[in-house]
Amino acid sequence: MKNKMKTHRLKHGLVAVGCVLWMALPPRAAAQVSLADFNALRDAVQKLSEQVQSLQQTNIIREQTHEKDVQQIQQLQEKLAETQQIATNAEQKSIEAAQTQTQPPLREPIDEATVNHNFMMLGDAEFQYVKAAGQHGGFVLADFAPIFLYRGGDNILFEAGFDTTLQNGLNSDGTHDSGSTSSFDLSFAQLDYVMNECMTFSAGDLLLPLGTYSERSAGWLNKFPDDPLAVSLIPGGGIGVELQGGIPLGDAGALVNYQIYGVNGPSSSETNADPTALDLGGNVGLKSDNTVANLHGSPVGGGRLGVFKPFKPHYDVELGVSGQSGEWDDSGTYLYTAGVFDAALHLGPNFQANGEYILTRYGSDQGFVNQQGWWVQAGYKLAGLDLEFPVINNVELVGRYDNLHNAPGSNGLGANTSRYTTGFIYYFTNTLLFEGDYEFVHSNDPSQVDQLILQLSYGF
Amino acid sequence: MNTSKKPKARVLTTFTALIAVMLISGLASTLCAADLKSDAPAPKTDYAPASTNSVTSNATAPETKPAVVKKQLTGAELYSMHCNRCHPERYPTERTAAQWKTIMLHMQVRANLPADQSKLILQYLQENSGR
Repeated sequence: MKNKMKTHRLKHGLVAVGCVLWMALPPRAAAQVSLADFNALRDAVQKLSEQVQSLQQTNIIREQTHEKDVQQIQQLQEKLAETQQIATNAEQKSIEAAQTQTQPPLREPIDEATVNHNFMMLGDAEFQYVKAAGQHGGFVLADFAPIFLYRGGDNILFEAGFDTTLQNGLNSDGTHDSGSTSSFDLSFAQLDYVMNECMTFSAGDLLLPLGTYSERSAGWLNKFPDDPLAVSLIPGGGIGVELQGGIPLGDAGALVNYQIYGVNGPSSSETNADPTALDLGGNVGLKSDNTVANLHGSPVGGGRLGVFKPFKPHYDVELGVSGQSGEWDDSGTYLYTAGVFDAALHLGPNFQANGEYILTRYGSDQGFVNQQGWWVQAGYKLAGLDLEFPVINNVELVGRYDNLHNAPGSNGLGANTSRYTTGFIYYFTNTLLFEGDYEFVHSNDPSQVDQLILQLSYGF
Repeated sequence: MNTSKKPKARVLTTFTALIAVMLISGLASTLCAADLKSDAPAPKTDYAPASTNSVTSNATAPETKPAVVKKQLTGAELYSMHCNRCHPERYPTERTAAQWKTIMLHMQVRANLPADQSKLILQYLQENSGR
């Protein structure tokens, strides 16, 4: 800017000098300027003109340089603004990170926690009134049967079932105990390890899969307040190990079930091989003198193979065959063998039928003892009739036939009994049931008589 | 004992007749219900028919056999199939999701269920559980 001003000043100066000379010098004097002076003056003007041009070029260059400097300054200012923004963001993030670190860590979902909900108690309770023929009726049974479950992770389960019973002294032979009796039994206690999709290993005091009654139908799950007669021919439990599982057949839900086990098995309650000495669950591992040994050294083996075929939900059929064989007397001379055929049928949510045929054979000092029995039962929920009566809709009619041949009775072996049972179940809820049954008994054992049983059952 | 034989026989006959009637009526009503349902649109369970779009069926007239599409059973269907085998069905809302996990492991062992089916049932119960 200064150079530009200087150039203008020179131009104005030269013009002013020219005007002053023109006005001040007389015409004569002008005429008297020599050629040499004129040339000198012309040279001087040319030099001044060249200087002006030089100054103009210099000025242009400086202007260009200035513009570049301005652009650089702008760019630097923009970069500075960006840097300041980045710094601000970084500071904000550091503050947020600090705040996050001060918050408590997220809790593991309670579903996966290793406390509380791994432990559960299920089970059932029953209260029973019985009026047997020829005897006074009375409240004869109060039963509390909890099942304790402890799940250790996804594949390990410990389960134990107990049975605490308070029972009045109503003896089948007409006598009675003073007061009441109570018992506390371990029904089962087993450790289960799910090895893979189709196999589970179990060890402990097992419910034996001879048929399906012991494992799946006992207690409040059964539609009758007492057991079928024939299940007394086979052991309900045993101490040992078991492999079990279900193998899918196709995509429609069909299964093949298998169970293989080895348990201590039955023994003799009298050390000999008398036919009446068979103790189905007696070879438990401890002698009465507390020495650690079974009464005989041969555990028994058994298993079950079943097929479950559903047609659609609530419509299915299941067939199974199971058996067990092993020594039972102390000397290990005789075998006890049992075979069971079981079947179950569901036709809709309101109709169910199932049953078992049980056959046993064991050797003794008096020869072979063959026993057999079977039972079949059915139930139909009146809700299937679609009647508009709420009481009716909560009722299920049930019926059962069972028999037993050559069983232990009051006169020793040889008791033959057949029994017809009819009754109903009233469902207060899906787990609170009132059962009423009357049993018509035909037997050569005088201790087996007709009886009415009323029972309140609760499953929890 | 002898005097009660004749009345007993009558009671037994009546009882047997009642049982027979009950079973027959139960079977008949359930089978009837099944027939009625079979007349309804295709069930959601095992198999589902292929699309029967009329344009498509006309275009592929020679291949009139309906295609069979396999469908995996849902947890709800497996629940209905298996749980009712042994006991009255328990409502999913009766237990919490964590409790169902322990119970289903127990039931998997007791009913010999394959692990995959057990997981589907568990998923159904947990999704509809009380908490």
